Amino acid sequence: MCSRPVAEASPAPIPFTVIGGFLGAGKTTLLNRWLARADALRIAVLVNDFGAINIDAGLVAQAGSDAIALSNGCVCCAIGDDLSAALAKVLAAQPCFDAVVVEASGVSDPWRIAQYALAEPQLQLQAVLLLVDAAALAQHLADPLLIDSLTRPLAHADLVLLNHADRASAADLQTARAWVRADAQRRERHAPPIIETTQADLPLALLADRLYTPHGGGLGMRPADHGAQFQAWQQQPAGTFDEARLRAWLRALPPGVLRLKGWLPLADGRWLAVQWAGRHASFKRLATAPASGAALVAIGLAGQLPAAALGAGLQGCLQQNDG
Amino acid sequence: MSTTVYQAKRIVTMNPAQPAATHVAVRDGRILAVGDLDRMAAWGAFELDTRFADKVLLPGFVEGHCHLKEGGMWDRPYLGWFDRRDPQGKVWPGVRSMDAAVARLSEIDAQMAAAGQPADAPLVVWGFDPIYFGGERMTVEHLDRVGNGTRRIVVAHANGHLLNASSAMLAAAGVDGDCEVEGVVKFDRGPLAGQPTGELQEPAAMYLVLKHVGNAGLLAPLDDAGLRAFGAICKLQGVTTATDLVNRLGEAELAVLRRNTDDDDFPVRILPAFQAFHGTHGAAAGAEHVRSLIPTSTDRLRFGLVKMMLDGSIQGYSARLRWPGYVNGAPNGIWVTAPSQYEADFEVYHRAGLTIHSHTNGDEASLAAIDAVERVLARAPRPDHRHTLQHGQMIDRPMFDRMAQLGLCANLFANHLWYWGDQHHDMTMGPDRAHRLDDCRAALDAGVRLAIHSDAPVTPLAPLFTAWCAVNRITPSGRVLGASQRLRVDEALHAITLGPAWTLKLDHEIGSIEVGKRADFAVLGDDPFAVDPMALKDIPVWGTVLSGRVFPAGG
Repeated sequence: MCSRPVAEASPAPIPFTVIGGFLGAGKTTLLNRWLARADALRIAVLVNDFGAINIDAGLVAQAGSDAIALSNGCVCCAIGDDLSAALAKVLAAQPCFDAVVVEASGVSDPWRIAQYALAEPQLQLQAVLLLVDAAALAQHLADPLLIDSLTRPLAHADLVLLNHADRASAADLQTARAWVRADAQRRERHAPPIIETTQADLPLALLADRLYTPHGGGLGMRPADHGAQFQAWQQQPAGTFDEARLRAWLRALPPGVLRLKGWLPLADGRWLAVQWAGRHASFKRLATAPASGAALVAIGLAGQLPAAALGAGLQGCLQQNDG
Repeated sequence: MSTTVYQAKRIVTMNPAQPAATHVAVRDGRILAVGDLDRMAAWGAFELDTRFADKVLLPGFVEGHCHLKEGGMWDRPYLGWFDRRDPQGKVWPGVRSMDAAVARLSEIDAQMAAAGQPADAPLVVWGFDPIYFGGERMTVEHLDRVGNGTRRIVVAHANGHLLNASSAMLAAAGVDGDCEVEGVVKFDRGPLAGQPTGELQEPAAMYLVLKHVGNAGLLAPLDDAGLRAFGAICKLQGVTTATDLVNRLGEAELAVLRRNTDDDDFPVRILPAFQAFHGTHGAAAGAEHVRSLIPTSTDRLRFGLVKMMLDGSIQGYSARLRWPGYVNGAPNGIWVTAPSQYEADFEVYHRAGLTIHSHTNGDEASLAAIDAVERVLARAPRPDHRHTLQHGQMIDRPMFDRMAQLGLCANLFANHLWYWGDQHHDMTMGPDRAHRLDDCRAALDAGVRLAIHSDAPVTPLAPLFTAWCAVNRITPSGRVLGASQRLRVDEALHAITLGPAWTLKLDHEIGSIEVGKRADFAVLGDDPFAVDPMALKDIPVWGTVLSGRVFPAGG
């Protein structure tokens, strides 16, 4: 079992991120990049195509038939046909990993894999990231065998990466954005944030809430980490909250929120831990106050995070507004 | 160099040049002569063995699509809808109502208590399928009626994708109304509204419970006992050659296979197919792995098959269907492998000279496979490849015609006609396509090499039953699905002997009783040509002969 620094009554769960995207979208590029430059983050990466992972020989500490341990503390494991078993191994590791990343196979729905983070108390769903080959999307969408499989994952994608943006024409990018918007409209949901990338260049900090810290202020990123692309919002609200209102508000968050989490006090003295990931709001009642006190933090793309609406929405959930 | 001549009431050879005989001579595990007693003398002295004098010999049956797990399921009690025979030959009666399920579970609960098992020992059963209960679902309200309601019960479903748990099991696993996992089904009304029903769908939800009871034998790797039990079932059903149509072929799996098949008392020849999807190897490494194993093959353990998988299952609504899709309006199913990935990987294994068996249940998946194979063969022609589409349940005549042109074989899932025929008619594909479900007739008419299979443990391993399905095309409700598409008895027998032998590239060695082939026999109590076609499945099986060694069923 994992033992993690105790911040709350129970051990803090490990952030769990799912990477979806069709063949050629850049999932392996992204994972190779993250493994090679993990910084101080110890990541466990679970992949489908073990053979495609290309780790610099100098970084390999130990290579087995279905797992590679890196000298920077990261590990890359083959999922094989049993994600449960692969996860169990990762969760049993000591010391615990700082983040778990699972690669969904090219045509599978990453949301199904995200369910494991909702099932396993040692895990916390961090994000569902969907990579799209922006240069090839129009051609892929023209394939009647594929269009439903490609579109299904949009329902729970927190961030859509239009990758290979350097190879895509303006029309390609427009097609991709229109596809994301049309799907959201069909579902009567807000479209997820969209970012254009080349070589799947995405900040590692997305994996473990290091883009922001509840009380540190601002983005915990250097400009070289693309800090300018993301924006954080946070509040340490006073007062107590109405649980039903909080639940209703979080289920209908304004557009532009990529990730949100926090701990808020309720009128009856208990606390509510809230999470927004996978376009899905989760709630957990806590018996005792978290060490951090009341806090709510959110992240979105720079210029798109609805800070004012978030502030107003949170105010609207205060207990004293009742009646 | 001793020769044994077996005398039989009748020998059905499946050799068109000599369809019937009364005597067969065996030397060195191979067939030396077939005919009457006079003909046996050509090769000198022999010992006449008359133990089969009142029996009928057929070529040993070949199961071209099953899984060794058929033997490994029986360490847990069975709770399926249909009667099913265990490796000891005992028939477990089907469970036809929720009350009957509760009664069966209560018996087991009482047995566990009487045996002194601890109160928190889990009770795990398998084979349940709610599709037969007319819309009624099993819930905690049923399972909590077992014993005093405190037993941790896990009811695994036949398809492997669902289970039901009792309240005690849910509590132990921490599953309650707050659980957000989508596969945790909840009551939508009544006194328990919002609480879990105990039905857990798909791996993440099942994980909640399975991590507390272990894999409970359901997903556990095959062990020696399971493989022995598989062998026992083969003897009961007349099977002398069987595939294990998906196997990781890692060190552990190979060790179990080799340890058991090296034993002369092991009664069946096994052909494991390498899992070329969801695996730990890329295609190039996978092909190299299989090629490296081929020289280590023995008579009873043969390498060289590859398994690929395109879609899911029809009754699970995860198969990929062409227009007009599922008759109940369910969305189209899933790709297990993207068609483009399938084509790329297929080409690698094909170029490596291996024989690829591709799971395609829905017609869109079958068509995607045919299209891919056509392109691969244009780029890399290879005579006599014997690649096979497995299941192929919705393939129509135009597709069979293309398969014939490409040399693609079909191994159709004839057992579905009985096990899910009514459900396909009413719930999944609708009447039109259900009437050509597993269309063996169209395959033969198009000139496609045909085998039929059980996919055991999905349905029981029993080739005579599978042949019965193809001959009668009857469902449990008495409906005949496509009377014109029924096979003749000789055609159906071919599809459980020489047909599958062809798809395994073993037709030169097994599948008929003729000189030079392995002395593999199914020893039957009756002549399949002499009984009513509806009685084909009821012909008693005495046992088998494998490469000249006699294996009585139950022995």
